Amino acid sequence: MRYALYLGCAIPIKYPGFEAATRLVCERVGIELVDLPFSCCPPPTSMKLVHYDSWLALAARNLCLAEEAGLDLLTLCSGCVNTLKEANHILKQSDSKRRKVNRILEDHKHQFNGTIKVTHILDVLYQDSVVERLLKERVRDVPLRIGCHYGCHYFRPPKIMYPQELSDAESYVPVSMDHLLSIIGVEPVEYSRKFLCCGSPLGANMDQDAGYEITRQKLGHIRDRNIQALSVVCPSCFEQFDMGQIVLGRKTKEKEKIPTFYLTQLIGLALGLSSKDVGLDVHRVKAKKLLESIEVA
Amino acid sequence: MTIKIWKHFPREDLYECYQCARCTGSCPAMEVAPAYGPRETILKCLNLGHDKVVEDEKVWLCCTCNVCEDRCPQKIPISDLLVALRNSAARRGNIPTRLSMALELLAKTGRSMIVHQLDEMRAHHGLSPLPAAPVEELRDILKKTGRDEVIEF
Repeated sequence: MRYALYLGCAIPIKYPGFEAATRLVCERVGIELVDLPFSCCPPPTSMKLVHYDSWLALAARNLCLAEEAGLDLLTLCSGCVNTLKEANHILKQSDSKRRKVNRILEDHKHQFNGTIKVTHILDVLYQDSVVERLLKERVRDVPLRIGCHYGCHYFRPPKIMYPQELSDAESYVPVSMDHLLSIIGVEPVEYSRKFLCCGSPLGANMDQDAGYEITRQKLGHIRDRNIQALSVVCPSCFEQFDMGQIVLGRKTKEKEKIPTFYLTQLIGLALGLSSKDVGLDVHRVKAKKLLESIEVA
Repeated sequence: MTIKIWKHFPREDLYECYQCARCTGSCPAMEVAPAYGPRETILKCLNLGHDKVVEDEKVWLCCTCNVCEDRCPQKIPISDLLVALRNSAARRGNIPTRLSMALELLAKTGRSMIVHQLDEMRAHHGLSPLPAAPVEELRDILKKTGRDEVIEF
C-alpha cells in the first residue's frame, strides 16, 4: 500500500508530533508514504471564501503532483481532505473549470486528468487489511473513555465527502474513528453535539472569543459524559481543544482539563510506541497522569 | 470589482426557502455571535439584494461547518451561497484582517502557518527539516487566477 503523503501546513509546522506518530504507525502497518513538493491545500475556511478561483487552482496543483507520481493522496487534516476531495470532484465534473485551471497550470507543466483518489489517514487505517494488521501488531490496550470529534470538514458536505454512504435523507455521520479505536481497547463514548463545530474557523477568521465559546459549550457536553480524553483527526480541532482549554481556563477557572489526542498518537501507543515517540510531550493539556493510570509510559 | 454572484449560486434556489429556520437553529456561530444566520441571509438576499448583505462584516460570522446545508429540508446549497457572498464581499474590500493576513502568509511562504525554530521543533520529534514550498510557482498561479486584484500586499 503506497500513498503520496499530503502533510498540509498545521501538522508539519505546528504539530510535527502528529506527523512523527503517523509516519511510525504507517511503517508498522505496512503503508508506504511518498513525500512530494506540495503547497498549502488551501483551506476551505480561508482562500476558498476570499478567492474561489485561486483556491481551486492551488488545490489542482497539489492533485496534479499526486497524479504525476501515480499515487492516491493521503491527507492528515479535515480541512485538507475537504479542499482536495472537493476540488478533485469539481474538476472531474466541470469541463469548463478544468479547462480554465489547466490553462494556468500548463505554464508549470501540470495537467489535471482526474486519475487519483483523495483519502484521509482515518479511512486508510479503517480498511479491513490495515485493521487486521493493527490487530496483529497491537501490543497493549488503551482502556480510556474517549470522545471522538471528527471535525466538520472531514465529512461534510456528505454528498462530496462520502457519496457512497448517504442515508435516505442524503445525510451522513461517520463511525470510523469510534470503531477503529475500540479495537485498541478504547471505550468510545457518545456525547451531545458530537458532530458540531469545535469553534476553530470562527476564532481564526473573525472572533476568537466567540470561537472559544463554542468550544466551552462543547466541552460541557463532553464533561457530562465523564469522557477522559478526546480523539481528533484535524490539527485545527486539536488546537481549539488543547490550547482552547488553557485560554478558557483563565476565565472559567476550570481545573480539570481533558487531554486531546491525534488519532495516530493513540494507535501508536497501542503499537508499543512511547508518549515521547508520538509527540505527546508538547501538548498543552498534559495526558501524563491519565496515561500513568493505565500504565502507559 | 464585483463578481457575478448568481453565476455561482442559482438565484431561483432562494425561492425554495420557506423560512423554517432549521439552518439558523443548527448554526454554531449563531449561538455565540449575534449575526444573521443562513435563514436571514437568504431573506435579505431576496428582499434587499445581495449588495446589502456583502457590505456587512457580519457576513463573515460563519464556521463553514456546512450543518445548515446538511439539515435544509429544501436541499438549498446554502454553503455555495455563503462562499459566493463572501467572495463578493472580499472584492469590495470587506475582508477580516486576520483572514487577509493568513492569505498574505500563504502567498509569501506557500503555507498558511509559520513558527520560529521550526527545524529544531521537527528535530525534537525525529523529523527532518520541512522543504520550502515552490513559492515562485505559486505566486505565478495566484497572479494568473486574479488573486492579486482582490488582495493587495
